[in-house]
Amino acid sequence: MIKHLMAGIQRGLGLHRPARGLLILPDDIFLVSFPKSGNTWTRFLLANLRFPEQPATFENINRLIPDPEGTAKRDFDRMPRPRIIKSHECFDPRYPRVVYIVRDPRDVVVSQYHYHRKLRKIEDDSPIEKFATRYLAGETCPHGSWGQNVATWLYTSEGSPRFLLLRYEDLLADTARELAKVVAFLNLTAGPELIAQAVERSSADNMRKLEKKQPDKNELMKGSRKDLSFIRAAGSGGWRKDLPAPVAARIEAAWGPLMQHLGYELSSPTPSETSQVPGVRSQENLMARLS
Amino acid sequence: MLAHVKYAVKYLLGRDQAGNNFTVFPDDTFLVSYPKSGNTWVRFLLANLIYPNETVGFANINRLLPAPGVSSKRFLKNLPRPRILKSHEPFDVRFRKLIYLVRDPRDVVISEYHFDLKKRYIEPDVTLEQFVERFIKGTTSGYGSWWEHTASWIAARHGNPAFLLVRYEDLLSEPVSETGKIAEFLGIQAGPERLQAAVQRSAADRMRKLEKQQADQWTGTKNTRKEIPFVRAAKSGGWKETLPGHCVQEIEIAWAPLFNFLGYPLQTPELDNKTVPAWVRTGQPL
Repeated sequence: MIKHLMAGIQRGLGLHRPARGLLILPDDIFLVSFPKSGNTWTRFLLANLRFPEQPATFENINRLIPDPEGTAKRDFDRMPRPRIIKSHECFDPRYPRVVYIVRDPRDVVVSQYHYHRKLRKIEDDSPIEKFATRYLAGETCPHGSWGQNVATWLYTSEGSPRFLLLRYEDLLADTARELAKVVAFLNLTAGPELIAQAVERSSADNMRKLEKKQPDKNELMKGSRKDLSFIRAAGSGGWRKDLPAPVAARIEAAWGPLMQHLGYELSSPTPSETSQVPGVRSQENLMARLS
Repeated sequence: MLAHVKYAVKYLLGRDQAGNNFTVFPDDTFLVSYPKSGNTWVRFLLANLIYPNETVGFANINRLLPAPGVSSKRFLKNLPRPRILKSHEPFDVRFRKLIYLVRDPRDVVISEYHFDLKKRYIEPDVTLEQFVERFIKGTTSGYGSWWEHTASWIAARHGNPAFLLVRYEDLLSEPVSETGKIAEFLGIQAGPERLQAAVQRSAADRMRKLEKQQADQWTGTKNTRKEIPFVRAAKSGGWKETLPGHCVQEIEIAWAPLFNFLGYPLQTPELDNKTVPAWVRTGQPL
């Protein structure tokens, strides 16, 4: 009851986190990805681009590019517009403009596994095979599986002028070039110098330094194990060494066609060569024949 | 400021509207569709099936088969579980088990046009052709375009045993057996007589009569233009007479892959080879 009363007072003052109740404005921009796909890095990049007068840190990032799950409603109301807002949600038609970051799901699972160790969500010696089973079923976070998150956005929105798809791997390979795409998409005014400055200020080394200085300034890592860092490898393709081959094969079996659609090469033979699926009617017939 | 205080008080009493910001329980089942796809009809079918001793009508449908969008959080929380809830949401990862009701968008657009006139959501002089343009862009509804809605659910859930795809057209042509499928999905033991009774009690004629009596007692019809009925044609294929040819073509060009996937024949034969690519479907259990 007391808890409920506190929540009511918080609401009256706008101190609660809006989460799904966030009032979306027509010029809002959403930075969306499945978790552990480079969202925080891209947040730093965009914050440093948009607010060059105050370098992004783990302390101010929740104000500069807020998270509806982690920032107070009052702070949302006070932001300069257009607002850039972070999200991990699956497809949401209310988002007026979306920058969607996608990352190879074989690297994502490794990253999420270590992050969950850091957060003490799993035992230190819990095998990654076990984690991968939950990961494939979409049970490691409340934002669907990697496949659902990516496919709901891509199939509804790919090709739309309101939607920009970026691959984490491309961002790594040429950060300035990819950031220029974002600048054009969002109609921001930012020349090459500003882009270069944003890239420098958001480099993995700089972010590691910031993490060391401010390990408890952000909910992403508050109270988590300090022996494991939030900014880990910041690379791509680490799965080749860190992920047991059978796990990679299971991920490819689940999402192979989607991975290929995104240009991620498969390590195991293509699971099914069918590039098309039959419609509902013929699917039913097929099921009837099989059962 | 006063609005803030009012909201805080409502929140404290649990009287604030749930919208889509409500607690979903793991044993909830949802009846989901794009608007104007037969959702109210299926709500009646289900309510009549589950509560054979109630007289189901517009006056009590929000209680018997609740819609979180127009219910208070307290009401939703206190419902007996497992709950069956109505929704128009596009893909929502929290909805684990659902009946997804889909209807030919060439009919949906006509239905939505009349509904929006009834509700005064659009000016009386907006033409159907103008409306079609907006419909394709997805600006006629807060739930995204028909494509976005359907594509998001198909991509995330088709093939999953907790996802039952039902076509409005099949429900019209075979109401008893389709209702039987839904009953089975919900784990309701219902013989042919009970199914038949639910279908009869939810017939369009009967719903029209109930609408005349109870239009002011339901959120969907309260304060709307009474000369336009809520229960309208209640049939399929009306677009063939009503929708101008170029409008049909525009809709088909925009959404051909899902027409083919769902088995809705196209007027434009060149679009027959447009299919849903394999990478889209991620809903199968592994």
